[in-house]
Amino acid sequence: MAETLLSLHINGELAHVAAPPHWSLLEVLRYRLDLIGSKQGCDKGDCGACTVQIDGEPVLACLTLACAAQGRAIRTVEGLGWEPQFRAAGCHPLQDAFDRYDAAQCGFCTPGILMSAESLLRKRGRAVTPLEVREALAGNLCRCTGYTKIVDAVVDASERMFAEDHDIHG
Amino acid sequence: MLRLPQFGVLMPEDIAGVVEALRANPGARIIAGGTDILPNLKHWLDEPPMLVSLARVRELRTITLDSDSTTVRIGAGMTLREVSEHAEIRSRFPSLAHAAGLVASPLIRNMGTLGGNVNLDTRCRYVNQSQFWRQALGGGCLKSEGKVCWVVPGGQNCVAAMSSDCVPVLISLGATIVMVGPDGERELALDKYFKADGLAHTNRNAGELTTELRLPVGQAPRRAAYAKWTVRKSIDFPLVSVALCFELERDEVDAPVRAATVVVGVLGAKPRVVSGLESALGKPLSDPSFARMVADAVHKQCKPLENVPFEAPYRRQMLGVYTRRAIEGLVAAG
Amino acid sequence: MADHDPTPPAPPAPPAWQLGKSHRKVDAMERMRGITRYTDDLKLPGLLHCKILRSPHPHANILSIDTSKAEALPGVHGVITGKDLSIPYGIIPWTPDETALAVEKVCHVGDGLAAVAAVDEDTALRALAAIEVVYEPLQAYYDPEQALAAEVAINPFNKRGNLSKDVVLEFGDVEQSLADAPLVIEGEYFFEGTTHGAIEPHCAVAKLEPNGLLTVWSATQVSHYLHRELAKVLERPAHTIRVIQPPLGGAFGGKSEPFDLEFCVAKLAMLTGRPVKCLYTREEVFYAHRGRHPMKMRHRTGFTREGKITGVSARTFIDGGAYSSFGLVTTYYSGQLLCSPYVFPAYRFHSTRAYTNKPACGPKRGHGSVQPRFAIEVQLDKAAVALGLDPFELRRRNDMGSNTTTVNGFEVGSNGFLECLDRVESGSQWRERRASLGFGHGLGLAGSTYICGTNYPIYPNDMPQGAVQITLDRSGRARVFSGANDIGQGSNTMLAVIVAEELGLHLDDVRVVSADTDLCPVDLGAYSSRITLMVGNACMQAAQKLRGKVRESVAKRWEIPAARVTLIDRKAMDLEDPARSIALDKAFQWAEADHGLLGEVGSYNTPKDRHGSYRGGTIGASPAYSFTAHVAEVEVDPETGVVDVKHIWVAHDCGRALSKLIVEGQMEGSAYMGFGEAIMERHAVDPRHNGVHCGPSLLDYRMPTFLDTPDIHALIVEAPDPQGPYGAKEAGEGPLHPSIPAIANAIYDAVGVRIDALPFSPPKVLAAIQDRARLEQAGELAPFKSAGLGERRNA
Repeated sequence: MAETLLSLHINGELAHVAAPPHWSLLEVLRYRLDLIGSKQGCDKGDCGACTVQIDGEPVLACLTLACAAQGRAIRTVEGLGWEPQFRAAGCHPLQDAFDRYDAAQCGFCTPGILMSAESLLRKRGRAVTPLEVREALAGNLCRCTGYTKIVDAVVDASERMFAEDHDIHG
Repeated sequence: MLRLPQFGVLMPEDIAGVVEALRANPGARIIAGGTDILPNLKHWLDEPPMLVSLARVRELRTITLDSDSTTVRIGAGMTLREVSEHAEIRSRFPSLAHAAGLVASPLIRNMGTLGGNVNLDTRCRYVNQSQFWRQALGGGCLKSEGKVCWVVPGGQNCVAAMSSDCVPVLISLGATIVMVGPDGERELALDKYFKADGLAHTNRNAGELTTELRLPVGQAPRRAAYAKWTVRKSIDFPLVSVALCFELERDEVDAPVRAATVVVGVLGAKPRVVSGLESALGKPLSDPSFARMVADAVHKQCKPLENVPFEAPYRRQMLGVYTRRAIEGLVAAG
Repeated sequence: MADHDPTPPAPPAPPAWQLGKSHRKVDAMERMRGITRYTDDLKLPGLLHCKILRSPHPHANILSIDTSKAEALPGVHGVITGKDLSIPYGIIPWTPDETALAVEKVCHVGDGLAAVAAVDEDTALRALAAIEVVYEPLQAYYDPEQALAAEVAINPFNKRGNLSKDVVLEFGDVEQSLADAPLVIEGEYFFEGTTHGAIEPHCAVAKLEPNGLLTVWSATQVSHYLHRELAKVLERPAHTIRVIQPPLGGAFGGKSEPFDLEFCVAKLAMLTGRPVKCLYTREEVFYAHRGRHPMKMRHRTGFTREGKITGVSARTFIDGGAYSSFGLVTTYYSGQLLCSPYVFPAYRFHSTRAYTNKPACGPKRGHGSVQPRFAIEVQLDKAAVALGLDPFELRRRNDMGSNTTTVNGFEVGSNGFLECLDRVESGSQWRERRASLGFGHGLGLAGSTYICGTNYPIYPNDMPQGAVQITLDRSGRARVFSGANDIGQGSNTMLAVIVAEELGLHLDDVRVVSADTDLCPVDLGAYSSRITLMVGNACMQAAQKLRGKVRESVAKRWEIPAARVTLIDRKAMDLEDPARSIALDKAFQWAEADHGLLGEVGSYNTPKDRHGSYRGGTIGASPAYSFTAHVAEVEVDPETGVVDVKHIWVAHDCGRALSKLIVEGQMEGSAYMGFGEAIMERHAVDPRHNGVHCGPSLLDYRMPTFLDTPDIHALIVEAPDPQGPYGAKEAGEGPLHPSIPAIANAIYDAVGVRIDALPFSPPKVLAAIQDRARLEQAGELAPFKSAGLGERRNA
């Protein structure tokens, strides 16, 4: 089938890529743009390993048609930590917290979880509770960790990012 | 990777463009959030030549209250998350906000739309599997490639389950569905939209697009709830699904119930509006015998099938329990 | 630590510099930034895509396969069938009973029988559809006992009907011990079967170089065994094959033997001259399976009035699926690993593994012993109830202690089980809370033990089981070469911690190169919880040799005894004059000047005197044993049967935690995985529908989400074992074992019913509650927890 030229805004930059119209965003990211951070675990929306953000909301790249993502802001794990305020640290506070807590074991689900978690923290704009984390990440399966250290790491990152809001978390 | 059939994609900018695209492309399917149709296409349950994407149709993405405050109109393109978080919906239709917030997972609620959830294809343990799996089963079934029903041996009518969380709630709230097609717009009571045929379980005509769900703003005091049970607290489709709405004489739970609507999903292809509740009317909502009578009616009338992956006898037993508990929850909330 | 300097008096001991600390893992940040390349992330020019044709029949003869139409399709570069890879193999050398692709018959739905390499997956799938196969369906068997009685043999290579393995071992006079026991508990238990569910599906890539070197990248946890089997099946000398395990997205035992895709991509790469990749769909992962065996277990356990176990008798039927996999070992493990942590004088087990027409079962985290551990720990709980003893007290009375021998002849060294019991007892506030928990709320206890590697490797040889090579760089860095497979459990970090500890480095200064058969010394792989003990010992040995050289060179220049020199925090330091130090890179340079290039090897082999001398007495024997105890807290809804697990306290004796957070993570992940198996996971086929899998997807195979998983409290217990590096034992599998029985026992504590068949699904729990209620109403049972039925409804 003839390929169509897609213009995708990914991690703040415009990427032009040819792909068949029936390709998912996940396929285009992984196999055309070599943005391999978004993973394929089930390929039909059951695991969350492919989670990316579109217009700031975490969504499943395996169930998003690449052509339908044109004109919208796509953000993948590779773009996490690019913001000027995080440049000195070299990574997003969530990535740092996951590293400190050993919240990634095999790391395969981690990019998707980070994209869901970043959205939660950005929307709340304050320290979050463990239950909020569990609710927000309930579409992302992890098979290694038992989730404990992921929850701890997200809560910790939120407390560090929004230090003045400590009292809200209590 | 699971492969999708090859199809073209059209991206119209407005409702008229969608209708035109559907008219010009017989066999085309509509894709909104994609969380229902794409897994089904990855399972090769259909091979449409063309998908018509609603991604750019801004008209579908509004929630408005009519100027006379009698109707709330929810654009079919509102995501389930938006519906569940919308202040107007939460205050006027809490059971709908609750149901929309219970669909699948946060990721799917960010993608899936209310229109998509209302039009969710029926589901069955023998259908929603890969093409290979269905071949191993013995060549599919009425709803896929085959000619038999694996749920009801000898059955000629597909009993795949209507599995939307929002549909029972919308029906219980008296919603109507608005569709636009080549012949213009039409509005239909949502309980008239569904039919007991798992292959084609709605009265949507080819070429029609769901544009809106309309909810009457009731004047009478009422209490409404949605009860759902699944094995996991996320991701799963509902296994027990009951929507309840009660109109009260006064705005307190000790007031007599004037009207009662109970709608049950995940039975067959059509949601079931429970009948015979009149005998319970007049009792206070808080009267335990009221909850018991409603629960008994649900249990008596609703017979889950082995169409979704969990034991049917248990699901039937639970319909009564969750119905009664939902009423008890409303009473406890005051 | 070994120290050969004979200088008295001993200088102050150096502080533990890295051991037991919390570490950032050496490879986690790359994974979190999305730049780590897992197998499916590899890019090679000219890559072809492989798809495998799978059987829609549970059992059938292959009468013919015609691939001509597939081969003629544009874009198809190669098609192979079973005949192209017909040499049988098996992870256990005694049971080579499968071929890469079925040759004459298919044995389960999903069995592979042909493979295609094409320009893309769509073309490969079209080619599969064009392959014409004529099958002759055969009667299929799904129950092990029925299969054993059947006339038709399922496995094409087995010589004994459908018997895969039968083991009977008896120690002491069990029948007499039971006959004499004042209390005998009899129970029948059923484990239905679960799978690993690693989020990364299996994937393999192969390419052939003009010089004949075949490279296979695979998401495997046993690169060495894959290397051997590729050589065998492809009939190539091993030195012409290189196996690389890229970073792995979880395994849990599900990637611990060769699979069809690895042979297929290798063969197709040889055939086409182009690199070939195969990535399983999630459904194919379920057909590859090798998950936990269904087991039907009948246990009889005798007790004295004081609660001492007098004897244990176990009869177990094991449902193996179509192939052996590790089944020979599984059959032994189902009995051999039960003889600890409780002491008993008489023991008999009879385990029978049968072939059935299902995806083959194999090793899943806690191989072979999670199922019988469920049985024995529930038996103990039933005895505690019958004897009016607290479950902790019953277990303490039967504790075997340290430095002892089990009834089946295994030497147990360190044993922290009693401390595990203490920790979960206080952590859960068992004593304070248990008696006052109302109807519907319960606490349950279970204990367990597990191995730290096996005393004998899978194929007999006298070479080391683990080996490590380390070199130091004059810039102040270390390189570690290890064949061990880091599967996400953190073994690369474990090695870095040991090297950093010995050489005074930061973890960032250590580069671990692992699981590449061309670059790394042989290691047997990530299974049976062997890496920390075995590879850790090898690494410690090599690192200590280098430490000796560096200290010696520094001591020489400072003119002090080498024992006074320690290496810490990127410095060499005088222990008696901490102000005197030099940078580590300088110390390395001194040592390199003295010794030439700084490189050392270490290797480890097991002691051979720690098991019985009877046939089978080596299987299940380990250099050391870990111990675990769980308390689970549940809330059971008596009206729906839904079991809500609120908390799991898991105390685990890992000997010594080399890296605290990694050990905790293993404990938490184990408890989670066992919880999922207890409550919701089901790996089964449908006998009424042609043996199709009951839902080969992550939608239908329900793995717990963030919202389902209880709060897990990891409590590290350290009983250092002389066999382990710095005393360390395993932590990756042992902590799973008590999950299931602890939850089962908590359900009993909550509502007074025993659920002896897994999983503890709501219909099953509800039916048991209702059965009990009927007996209570009939006056045949006392009301449980004295809650009246009326109150219960709202409990």
